[in-house]
Amino acid sequence: MDFLRRHRVLVSAAVLLLMSLSLLSISVRSKPNRDPLAEFVLLVFSPLQGATEWVRRGLSNAWFGYVYLVGARAENEHLRERVSGLEADVVRLGELEQTNARLTDLLRFRPALPIEVRGARVVARDPQHWFRSLVIDLGRQDGLRPGLAVLAPKGAVGRVVEVGRAASRIMLLTDNDSGIAAIVQRSRAEGIVQGARDQGCRMNYLRRDVDVSVGDKVVTSGLDGIFPKGILIGEITEISLEHRDLLLSARVEPSVRLADLEEVMVVDPQPPGEVEEE
Amino acid sequence: MRSALVIALVASVGLLLQSTVFHEFGLGAVVPDVLLVLCVYLGLNQQSVAGSFGAFLLGYLQDAASGSPAGLNACGMLVVFVIVYLTCRRLWVDNVVSKVVLVFLASLIKAAVVVVLLASLVSLSGEWSSISADLLKQATLSSAVAPAVFWLLAITGIPPHRESD
Repeated sequence: MDFLRRHRVLVSAAVLLLMSLSLLSISVRSKPNRDPLAEFVLLVFSPLQGATEWVRRGLSNAWFGYVYLVGARAENEHLRERVSGLEADVVRLGELEQTNARLTDLLRFRPALPIEVRGARVVARDPQHWFRSLVIDLGRQDGLRPGLAVLAPKGAVGRVVEVGRAASRIMLLTDNDSGIAAIVQRSRAEGIVQGARDQGCRMNYLRRDVDVSVGDKVVTSGLDGIFPKGILIGEITEISLEHRDLLLSARVEPSVRLADLEEVMVVDPQPPGEVEEE
Repeated sequence: MRSALVIALVASVGLLLQSTVFHEFGLGAVVPDVLLVLCVYLGLNQQSVAGSFGAFLLGYLQDAASGSPAGLNACGMLVVFVIVYLTCRRLWVDNVVSKVVLVFLASLIKAAVVVVLLASLVSLSGEWSSISADLLKQATLSSAVAPAVFWLLAITGIPPHRESD
């Protein structure tokens, strides 16, 4: 008893450490069910983060837009946006062309799925570098739910993992836990694009005999039921043999510059009306 | 009570800056860890049961505000608190330079704890080079903001608390 009293600081730290380890074990095992504190923090911090981000963006725009380079930046931004739009169009058209070729023999087409797209503003980023996440200003009240795909004009961004009342957390495609069903656009080779933090992503589980080369575009296959088919993920920059030389693994450079994202689109393949009907 | 409120306020502002403004000035995804600096402050100045509980809460808050599993940063913060607590009972840590060095080392220790826990939970193969580069960047950035955080806490006049052993 005297020992406990004499070392109460260390004893309390040890008890709390055990508690943390238990908490960690529980949270890893039941990953989809995030703890209530996370939702509370999202609720409390997201308006503050939104306001801070708004001020930061305002100051940044004032500096770069007016003081630093009057006119030139606006033109540069416009041209960049145009180039990224055109790049996305090229990929989309390539995808459409191939789809068209495959479907020429078919007599009927399936009706397009009812997809709802909502624009959202990025209000915060992960406060530490171990994980790759963003906070956006749409939440449960806007009809968001975990598992929805998040896109940018240049391609896939990630998916919704945690939904608060008015804000949600997005797991980026470069997060270790991220996995997207994908295909190589040119050869239609299938694989899974998994996050590799600063190294971007890796397309794993490619069969050794498939036709894949550096520079190939990787797009979503739609097989995961989260991302619509044909969304650009990135470009292959390196190919290596994995799993005792049985499978190929390709390093994929994401098409979207995730560090600079300010706005994103949340794609809901089953809008609330549709979900309710089911 | 006043100490707890001041630390909670500084932690909230720090977390807000870490998730927004610091990304503008950070090196890639790496940003200074203000909450870690606060944890070192607790280990140096609040050597009590409340101090260790504060370290736990700082880590848990960081877990809740990021995409990490709950308990991951809480473990890291508690280990840092204990090491700082034991260190400052044996070594003289009173000037700014020694505190900055302590924050640098604390950042590496916390990262080591997180890496060990993450490695036991998820695969980190092939990413060691980028992780180790990030660790040094974060330790440097955290120790760079440490003097400002310590100064801020010093002017609030929070009395140090040491429970006698």
